[in-house]
Amino acid sequence: MESLYLLIPLSVLLVLVIMALFWWALDRGQFDNVEREGERILHGD
Amino acid sequence: MLGAHRGPLTVTDDFTVLDDPVEQQDFTQPCEFDGQPGCESVLLVQGMYCAACSEAVESALAGKPGVVSAQVHAATRRLTVRWDPARTRISDIARAVGASGYRLLPLQQALSISQRQAETRKALWRLFVAGFCMMQVMMYTTPMYLSAPGEIAPEYLHLLRWACWLLSVPVLLFASGPFFASAWRDLRRGRVGMDTPVSIGILVTFIASSGATFDPAGPWGNEIWYDSLTMFVFFLLGGRYLELKARDRTAGALDALINRLPERCERQAADGGFEPISLKRLLVGDTVRVQAGQAFPGDGVLLSAGVTVDEALLTGESHPVTRHQGEMVVAGSYNLAGAALVRIERLGRDTRFAQIVQLMERVSTEKPRLAQLADRIAAPFLLLVLLAAATAGLGWWQLDSRHAISVAVAVLIVTCPCALSLATPVAMLAAAGALAKRGVLVRRLQAFEALAGIDTVVFDKTGTLTRDRVVLRQVIARAGVSSLQALQLAGPLAQASLHPVSRAIAQAQQEGSPVAVFREVQEIPGQGLQAGQGEAMLRLGSAAFCGLDELALTAAGQTASDASCAYLRDASGWLATFVLDEGVREEASAVLVSLRAMGLRLRLLSGDKAEAVARVARQLGITDMVAQASPEHKLAEMLALQARGSRIAMVGDGLNDGPVLARADCSFALGHGAPLAQAQSDFVVQGGQLSELVGVIALSRKTMAVVRQNLWWAAIYNTVAVPLALGGWMPPWLAGLGMATSSLLVIGNAMRLAYLPATNPSFSGA
Repeated sequence: MESLYLLIPLSVLLVLVIMALFWWALDRGQFDNVEREGERILHGD
Repeated sequence: MLGAHRGPLTVTDDFTVLDDPVEQQDFTQPCEFDGQPGCESVLLVQGMYCAACSEAVESALAGKPGVVSAQVHAATRRLTVRWDPARTRISDIARAVGASGYRLLPLQQALSISQRQAETRKALWRLFVAGFCMMQVMMYTTPMYLSAPGEIAPEYLHLLRWACWLLSVPVLLFASGPFFASAWRDLRRGRVGMDTPVSIGILVTFIASSGATFDPAGPWGNEIWYDSLTMFVFFLLGGRYLELKARDRTAGALDALINRLPERCERQAADGGFEPISLKRLLVGDTVRVQAGQAFPGDGVLLSAGVTVDEALLTGESHPVTRHQGEMVVAGSYNLAGAALVRIERLGRDTRFAQIVQLMERVSTEKPRLAQLADRIAAPFLLLVLLAAATAGLGWWQLDSRHAISVAVAVLIVTCPCALSLATPVAMLAAAGALAKRGVLVRRLQAFEALAGIDTVVFDKTGTLTRDRVVLRQVIARAGVSSLQALQLAGPLAQASLHPVSRAIAQAQQEGSPVAVFREVQEIPGQGLQAGQGEAMLRLGSAAFCGLDELALTAAGQTASDASCAYLRDASGWLATFVLDEGVREEASAVLVSLRAMGLRLRLLSGDKAEAVARVARQLGITDMVAQASPEHKLAEMLALQARGSRIAMVGDGLNDGPVLARADCSFALGHGAPLAQAQSDFVVQGGQLSELVGVIALSRKTMAVVRQNLWWAAIYNTVAVPLALGGWMPPWLAGLGMATSSLLVIGNAMRLAYLPATNPSFSGA
């Protein structure tokens, strides 16, 4: 059970890392127009 | 295959005006890419109808020298292009896009749009932080709920609580920002809004849970509520985010309408030639040439011979009017035939057009604000909750002082108004979504509440109750000549002209057999048409042009005095009279019957001539009407009505309706109307069908019914939860479950509005 002392802080850290990744994606405009990528396949590029 | 996709426009503009630094300020800002200075421009793409169009525009620019990147946003039809001013010009970019069938327009509100985008991004970021922290907090709390008391060793329990606390901090400090800001704003104004109890709930929940985490034996009790806290914030932020998205979508559609090409005009230079310049560089006293089909850039005096102008944008009048040499023409009206020379007298904010726009902007800020249902109940709700918490605390103090604070806190937490605060926006969002599918844009969600409470509908005549073009009503012909023969004579003449009256006659004639076409038809702007000479002479036009005396014709019963008429004559005099009618829309009378059945009073408020208004009113059975009203007059009428306590929905479409639309409790614009009128309305019926009016009013009433049900449900949840908390029987898991269930019920109830029947049942007769 001692492993929880490592795993729980690790999971908190992981959440923070994921949030940072999402912020990076958001800031680069990847979520500004989410419909468009889905429609791309319909256009026979 | 992509290369095959082409825009619908043939673009011949030369775009040089876009290179003017004065123009560029509006849509271009300097930026830097790869360490090199460059420019970033945001332009609107005209002619985009599908998502493939955005690819076509982008590929037109890909690889062009000087273009660093080009990206088109399909939903808002916006092109963001980064370019190197040393290697290309914006006019070259516009020409390249023009060659693929689209026109680029500068976006005056480019900056406000990028601000809106930043706002949307931030809202999504808050939502994500709340959502992710919520998931993880729930993960940590699950073992506490599932295990028997004492099953988890205290040190691990403490570790889990620590982790929960750590992940709740960003939710409190960052994600809940909007609630605190809004509650603070209300507080400073001495009001209580829905965000006040929300903020108190968030704060109390966090403080109590922190107390339990760091001092389990302390006065805050031993319960943690992190899962309820994060879930509550996530639900509310989800509602706010959807609201923001709905607003963006509507705003994007309207931005596209308002933007036009920078009015470029041809100014007469000192040597008598003409040079194209930007409207912003035009000065009072300049002489400009305005080609047929173009708008006048400012109010001015006509220097050339008479022209026909279309002032529908200003007056809503469908008939073109003639302006003679020396008369004034107004900015924003269109020149219909022949090039005109105009000396500019007033420009920009001094023009009649700008005055109406200013009036519109001013009154829109004075729009009667409806105290929203949710905000009205916020203050009594907060009072009750605080009272209940205080009573609970005091009561328990007598019984068992150790539990006093924790019970009071539990009362505050379970009454945290998640469902209450979601009740209104989710219902309105669902209704707006349903309307969007039917082509009705909702500019203000709160308009549903205003619309449900109206008692009077005021119509503008032109374009709303009547069609926006004239039709032929009746033909009165000389004895011995049938109506059909008269039409067959007039038709070929009329076909040579684009005047609306000519179009109406030509269209009516097409039902008969084709007849000989005159070789030479002469059009005298604003007067009429002539063909042939001598005995074969034939004239179609106004009474004066045909050399007829209207009074004598009226006395002989050969014309209609209550409608506008066109006359036909040959060498021997009067031949026929064409009585014209601004056709009342087919669906108008059925719509009015439905509206009356809903208990609404109807009024007509028009800028048209009294007889024309009276005729339409008679035909539709409307008794209240005002004719020949200027925009200021219309506004005064509306204010008088409102002063008498009427709540008004205005239906209009012209720019002259703009001020009234902006001031009415609630307003509709039909889709073919003036862009500025649309931008001031709460609802825009894009297809222009009057029948949607009935459906929208019915839906708004239904929406408010759902809002009330939701508020009742939230109230019932609280009345059940508070006694439980008072008794100390509200464990955190039950509080969280109750909060989630009541919120989901409220959302589910609102979703019933999203599925509208295709047509309104009360309107099946149309």
